[in-house]
Amino acid sequence: MSNAHLIQKPRPETADVLVIGAGASGSVAVRELVQQGFSVVCLEQGDWTPATEFTGDKPEWELSRQKQWHPNPNVRQNPSDYSVNTDDSDVNPLMFNAVGGSTILYAAHWCRALPSDFQVRTQDGVADDWPFSYEDLLPFYQEIERDMAVSGLAGNTAYPDGGGYPLPPLPIGKYGHKAASGMDKLGWHWWPGNNSIASKAVGHRAQCLRYGACLTGCPAGAKASTDLTHWPYALELGAHLVTGARVSEVTVNAEGLATGANYVDREGNEQHQKAKVVVLAGNGIGTPRLLLLSKSSAHPDGLANSSGLVGKRLMMHPYAAVVGTYEDELESWLGPAGQSIESMEFYETDASRGFVRGAKWNVMPTGGPLGMRAGYGGRPIEESFGVNFHRNVKTVLGKSFEWGIIAEDLPDENNQIVLDSINVDSDGIPIPELHYKSSENTSRLIDFHVDRAVEAHEAAGATTISVTKLMRDCGWHLLGTARMGDDSSTSVVDQFGRAHDCPNLYVIDGSVFVTSSGVNPTATIMANALRSMRHLAETHTDQKTAN
Amino acid sequence: MLNPVQIETYSALANELIPAAEGMPSASEADVPTTWINTALGYRPDLVEAFLRSIDSCRGEVPARALENLNANDTEAFDALGVLTSGAYFLNPGVKELLGYPGQLPVPAHDDTETYLEILERVVDRGPIYRASVST
Ligand SMILES: Cc1cc2nc3c(=O)[nH]c(=O)nc-3n(C[C@H](O)[C@H](O)[C@H](O)COP(=O)(O)OP(=O)(O)OC[C@H]3O[C@@H](n4cnc5c(N)ncnc54)[C@H](O)[C@@H]3O)c2cc1C
Repeated sequence: MSNAHLIQKPRPETADVLVIGAGASGSVAVRELVQQGFSVVCLEQGDWTPATEFTGDKPEWELSRQKQWHPNPNVRQNPSDYSVNTDDSDVNPLMFNAVGGSTILYAAHWCRALPSDFQVRTQDGVADDWPFSYEDLLPFYQEIERDMAVSGLAGNTAYPDGGGYPLPPLPIGKYGHKAASGMDKLGWHWWPGNNSIASKAVGHRAQCLRYGACLTGCPAGAKASTDLTHWPYALELGAHLVTGARVSEVTVNAEGLATGANYVDREGNEQHQKAKVVVLAGNGIGTPRLLLLSKSSAHPDGLANSSGLVGKRLMMHPYAAVVGTYEDELESWLGPAGQSIESMEFYETDASRGFVRGAKWNVMPTGGPLGMRAGYGGRPIEESFGVNFHRNVKTVLGKSFEWGIIAEDLPDENNQIVLDSINVDSDGIPIPELHYKSSENTSRLIDFHVDRAVEAHEAAGATTISVTKLMRDCGWHLLGTARMGDDSSTSVVDQFGRAHDCPNLYVIDGSVFVTSSGVNPTATIMANALRSMRHLAETHTDQKTAN
Repeated sequence: MLNPVQIETYSALANELIPAAEGMPSASEADVPTTWINTALGYRPDLVEAFLRSIDSCRGEVPARALENLNANDTEAFDALGVLTSGAYFLNPGVKELLGYPGQLPVPAHDDTETYLEILERVVDRGPIYRASVST
């Protein structure tokens, strides 16, 4: 997108607010604050990704999705990416670094968390409660759903009545019908999926053209990535966006108050942006990385880390995929991809199952003939090639769909991000190092859910069913690494994202999650970011600053 | 672009991986070694080196045995060969037609709610399934 037509005021030497990261949460912050009259600068290490660059409508789509548009930065290796050391992780973290952040690649399943997700300690006796309730967040969910123009059908029995959605639901397609028929036979819950994908043209977005390519960027411009939903408005209102700016440190004064940030510009020069308030929106990995990089005499263990919890309690939603193949033609290359239908049948805790918490299920299409086929090396050749090459394609292409299972993982301080002591990114900044193991509770949860998903496929008449219990490339939800809470000894930020140790520093991305819920998190991340930033605006006259 | 010697070696490997069977053409019959592999290599420059290595290491060998060796000794090269050959095969419009796959074409979204409302009613009839907030 070109914004050359905008005549911008010069960037302020000292911004009222500096936002780091132009992804889902950062976009909300910038738009909200600039609307409220603050001068806002946003530093983003990535760039714009115009819809014409996406390959979903081009012949190279399936080959390019395994490299140039892969969600794993270690595979993609764009100049805007930083690597993540995953040697000690069961799961690879996935993200995109650009204006719009990971919403450029997200599948746009739009899910509110449930009331019990905010009360895990009270209702299930494990982990912790959030410092606010579902009801506290509800008006912000509704506002964000309007901003994102979510497509969906009201009345889902898995949720309290929270009103309707701005746009009618997207088609569930033949594969959605097939899946629903199985759930109907079993008497299990299902509902047409909510998606932040436009079923009709709206704002800066076109109508969905059903490319099955949402996960590699929407070539139609129908998906609600925040470069389309938020940035055009924010820039019109005078927000200052600096792309290609990789922040290396949040700077503080002798008292430990934030004064701005150091960053490396595209030419490799070190720069500094001054600000009265700094807001971190770098995602559940980028933000703790930055906090840990920002050591000072006032914050010797990293910024805002007196609790020792920065980087800890990482949650990533281990994902299981149960794919069924059918005799019928299901056109399962058609999008959106997107969730066709969802099920919350086994979402809430039932102690008799031998684990706590649960998972959302979603039906997704299976794409084109190449799919994510790769990594053949070392496996028997005849498995994938020879006559089986043709048989496999003919069995799966257009005749299969996936029940995906978003398993809630509980917080565990051993699952964490630290700074890699050896490896650095292209600007010489230490990369994050992940330590993540799936727990016993999660394993039992996944076993149970996978068995039920197999039954769901059987009930729908699947001829073959294949199970992947833990997909390694599934860390698309990066949560918990700077948790919120009321007690400064057991949390990093308060319920509005304000750092306990540094009152002019906010964290508003998925890092602040107390528990992970069992649903895709972006609705909650964005609603929470809006709640935080509105609070910042409402209380700014009392805001302590360094200058 | 592959040179004639590389094309010869590669054709034999590609046909071993994708033979004519199940009503589908072999890789050579689908013009993979002469046309589509070049297109695929253009889309994935990152794989060119490993791909060429796979061909070089198999030159003059019996294709089936050469592939087994490659798979055992150089998985990166075997992966590149496998992904590019499969990807190139599916680029051929005739192959897509035989598979009944139209490719990713624009199909405007339509509202199909009417087609499932009846069975969705049964979900509604079963009532709410969430746990409400409790006061703490
Ligand atoms: C493939 C994929 C599929 C997904 N599908 C879904 C889905 O269906 N539904 C759902 O709810 N969620 C989904 N997600 C997750 C969703 O994209 C994220 O939850 C959401 O984007 C997180 O928002 P955020 O603001 O925390 O971070 P991001 O959106 O990741 O934005 C962070 C931004 O900060 C920037 N940044 C980080 N560090 C620095 C630095 N040091 N200097 C400058 N800039 C920096 C990054 O470049 C990035 O642009 C998916 C994610 C992926 C990758």
